[in-house]
Amino acid sequence: MEASEILKQCNDVWELRHEYAKDWKRRTGGKVVGYMCTYAPEEVLYAADILPIRILGGHEAPSLATPHMFDMWCPFSRDCLNQGLKGKYNDYLDGIMETNACLHMRQAFGAWTIHVPTPWNYWFVMPNAVRSPRAKTFLAGELAEFKKAIEEWTGKTITDKDVDRGIDIMNTNRRLMKQVYEFRKEDNPPITGTEAMTMVWASQLMDKREHNDLLKQLLEALPDRKLDRNTGVRLMIVGSENDDRPFMEMVEDVLEGTFVIDEHCTGSRYFWNEVVPEKDRLQAIANRYCDRVPCPNKDWGMEDCTRTRFPHILQLAQDYGVQGAILIQQKFCDPHELDIPSLRRYLEDNGIPCYFLEFEVTVPLGQFRIRVEAFLEQIRAEELFV
Amino acid sequence: MIVAGIDVGGKNVHAIIAKNGTILAKAEAPSGIKKAEAAEQLYEEVLKQAGLKREDVARVVATGSSGQRVTFADGVIPDAAADARGVIKLIPSARTVIDVGAEEGRAIKVSPEGKVLDFAINEKCAAGTGTFVDTMARALEMPVEEMAKLSLQSTRSIPMNAQCAVFGESEVVSLIHQKMPKHDIARAVHDAIAGRISSVARIVGLEDDIVMVGGVAKNVGFVESLRRDIGAGVKVPDDPEYIGALGAAAAAAAGVLEEKVEAKVVEKEVVEEGEA
Amino acid sequence: MAKYKTKGLDCWGRAKELRMKYYQDYKEAHDRGALRWEGGAWTFDALPQALEGEVHSLTEEPYGASVGANPEVQVRYQEAAEGKWGCARDLCAYLRNYWGSIVLDEYFFGGKWPKADFIFQNHICCAHAKWLQVAAELEGGDVPFFCFDVGAGAYDKIGERQINYVVEQLYDGIEFLERATGRKVSDEKLIQNVQNTYRSACYWAKTCELNQAIPAPLDEKTMFSLYVLGTLEKSTSAIADFYEKELYPEVKDRVANKIAAVGDEQCRVLGDTQPPWGFLSIFRYLEKYGVVSIASLYTFSLIGWWEIDEQGKIVPYPTLEEQGITIKDRDQALRLLAEGELKGKLMWAPFYGAKYKNDIVTKIAKQWKCDAAILHLNRGCEGTAQHQMELKIALQNMKLPVMTFEGNMADEREFDEARTKRFMDLFLTETLGLKKVAD
Repeated sequence: MEASEILKQCNDVWELRHEYAKDWKRRTGGKVVGYMCTYAPEEVLYAADILPIRILGGHEAPSLATPHMFDMWCPFSRDCLNQGLKGKYNDYLDGIMETNACLHMRQAFGAWTIHVPTPWNYWFVMPNAVRSPRAKTFLAGELAEFKKAIEEWTGKTITDKDVDRGIDIMNTNRRLMKQVYEFRKEDNPPITGTEAMTMVWASQLMDKREHNDLLKQLLEALPDRKLDRNTGVRLMIVGSENDDRPFMEMVEDVLEGTFVIDEHCTGSRYFWNEVVPEKDRLQAIANRYCDRVPCPNKDWGMEDCTRTRFPHILQLAQDYGVQGAILIQQKFCDPHELDIPSLRRYLEDNGIPCYFLEFEVTVPLGQFRIRVEAFLEQIRAEELFV
Repeated sequence: MIVAGIDVGGKNVHAIIAKNGTILAKAEAPSGIKKAEAAEQLYEEVLKQAGLKREDVARVVATGSSGQRVTFADGVIPDAAADARGVIKLIPSARTVIDVGAEEGRAIKVSPEGKVLDFAINEKCAAGTGTFVDTMARALEMPVEEMAKLSLQSTRSIPMNAQCAVFGESEVVSLIHQKMPKHDIARAVHDAIAGRISSVARIVGLEDDIVMVGGVAKNVGFVESLRRDIGAGVKVPDDPEYIGALGAAAAAAAGVLEEKVEAKVVEKEVVEEGEA
Repeated sequence: MAKYKTKGLDCWGRAKELRMKYYQDYKEAHDRGALRWEGGAWTFDALPQALEGEVHSLTEEPYGASVGANPEVQVRYQEAAEGKWGCARDLCAYLRNYWGSIVLDEYFFGGKWPKADFIFQNHICCAHAKWLQVAAELEGGDVPFFCFDVGAGAYDKIGERQINYVVEQLYDGIEFLERATGRKVSDEKLIQNVQNTYRSACYWAKTCELNQAIPAPLDEKTMFSLYVLGTLEKSTSAIADFYEKELYPEVKDRVANKIAAVGDEQCRVLGDTQPPWGFLSIFRYLEKYGVVSIASLYTFSLIGWWEIDEQGKIVPYPTLEEQGITIKDRDQALRLLAEGELKGKLMWAPFYGAKYKNDIVTKIAKQWKCDAAILHLNRGCEGTAQHQMELKIALQNMKLPVMTFEGNMADEREFDEARTKRFMDLFLTETLGLKKVAD
């Protein structure tokens, strides 16, 4: 299959996510559980033959959500709740889970469990002190309880072999996506930022075994793929959740820029780190979630004020030849708002110019175009005088 | 008994004189910056229209965001209370009132007696007010009435940012540059504000009959968008912008006034504010 | 003639004195060779306060609130945080006050910003750890920083595993303190501090429980100035003594003698979250209608510890004496400290879902005999403002009239006093049918 066709399938899953999930249920007879934060341990869900899908917004004004979450909560979280209240998940979602994520998503989950008729729900206590060894022990215990709760719900015991399978499915998916990302290091990447994002969105919305099949085919197709476009300015996009396709397309199709790498939770931050297998499988999974690139609300230390995410972002920028970074943030998003002033300084001190944009359920493309265009001009002008 | 109701809002003043439940005269004028003066002048005008003098009027009740400025009023009632009373007078089956004026959008749950059971306001945001509509009409370079009628021609829904009037205006400009047909943009504007208002109304719950009042109720495009959004019928009385004044007049007739009370509380030691 | 007798609190002056001394001590600490540290209102201050020698703290939230009560200064500090540091305006208002203070090198209580010797913080919401992480950066990046995680689960899910998680971190915290300061943590002091923490938390809860009486002996506006001491130094004898030996007995006496907070109490309301600190006059405005705010999860449980008894009622958490416990050693002290906070601080329960907040607050509304609720939709604090709209629905489902108003606890640019009073007039006169009792 050609790369374009594969990527179109990914896009179809993103656009028609509910139809995909319903079809999956029909084919497999399995349960579907929605998660609201990428700290949800999907390995355990796959071990139980459950399909984990990420709850994402619909990019519509969340008018049904207002009686449940007033307007100062992030539009993405309200949009997610709105989708639930609109009944988009009623036909097929068997369960929904949340972790110690940001306060905005916690609220969406809280309202969902009261008003949306999803039969099963679970709060997974993901520790925040991820750099402390205590967190790893605690998390392994949480995973054991979670596994037990799933077993009680499904009536099926999860064996070590099942967990191995779950780990393998997730690790394979992470590894393959990272391999696709390697192509973005090229001078003229054979895959655009929009396409790469679409690939990750599909990962979060479909059976990863099926996604892995697509990825393997994509990896075969990419070496020969030549895109009829100028790479232009090599950009990085960093920040909170992003599935704003029109924005990505605007920058890449209209403005001669290419997002060669990203760092957000619908991007690389989701899949960058694998589980390192150990005899104690749950401990291995716990270690991965503690050691992964953290969400800002977990990116703090036990001894000093440093962050682990910043050097990682800089490394990505250097590895991918980034000329500029666009820092995006869902309006009112606390975790990223807390980091952005420091991140901006850090990147700029290390030679990566930054531009900040605030996202909503829909974005004012006209205004953003002018601003991003100016940013790209600034980068091009600087390059001219280097 | 002859009574008067004066509604002093952010943009306009409305006045009604009524006798035994029948409207004798009504008038409206811009409220401007000098709201007390505007209210005074309009009262004179409506008296003249009714062929009456001040002493003919037994009681005057004011309402509106600047109701307190009406120095000649015998009392003031909150604007949402005036809405509730005014709507029940005209449509006794009303249970949800949606009032969208120039600077505030609100939803009110009313009892059969016209009492305010619950209310929700579109706070700190122009995106749910008449000002939003005016701004977007300016961006489309047409009068509001024209934009409203034009929107009815659209059969297409374009999602538009409705959380922020500034972003919203930006999006309209973008849509114009994308050569989107104006009737579709006009509908998108009305859908956006309707979504905003319906989300406020859902806070109090949507119970039939749902009645829309205030200046924006005259906007046929908005009313259609709101009907579509809430999936239910919305009634709009004649002269919806006069409902506040009508309710104030009804309150005057019922003898509902702010009572002045002698202080009864024992003086307390003044404590330092703001200790936390 | 007012309905009930009323008078001010005898211990009011003492409360003010304790508070001002706290801020002065922090400022002067270095002059006396004492240590000073920054942390949060919920930090386990029993540990750093157990270090040898004199130690003083600055807790971030009360500091932010103190600034917030002065709108002029608050705007200046926040504009510094937003303009000079570059942070977003919708972040926690206390945090912006705090950062702005550092950016301007000003201490709200006079003089330059007093840099800390170390930071000792805990984390449950998005902001807590990050707040002082950035503060440490602003202070030069060389302040030793320790933060532990108390997000171990809701109060009804706390077992040995969860307690162990926190206790292990507390042990790590002690190691950090000794390394960062070169001083030892004294077990004797630690045990005393844990005892004091119990006394502060349990006796504040007992005091709040007394507000179930009619008339209420305390109004929330007064209570704000009383709970705050527990957010400053709950582990010190001075504060614990204040709660157990001064405040609680006096309020008990007020109940016995029917001394009201508001002489014309005719309507008891439930609140939620912090109030707009610069505009506490709205409570006096409510009193014109005989309306008294007497209860809220926030005021009760920011420092108070509670439990749900077998009858499903909210009652104060038992003191160590009531539990028959005498602390013998460090391990027992740390375990009891962790257990008390994790099980007793019901304020943390909403972090795990709306159902918890609904359950707890509807119980409060019933037990404290509330007639209505006035909820401040607080844009300044996502932590305390969680699930407020769900709470509104839950309270209305139990037929309690509810009013909401948007505002900000410590950012006067986001609070419209005149508009809020307009809404209050509407709610009080129309929905509740009250008439004014005073002018």
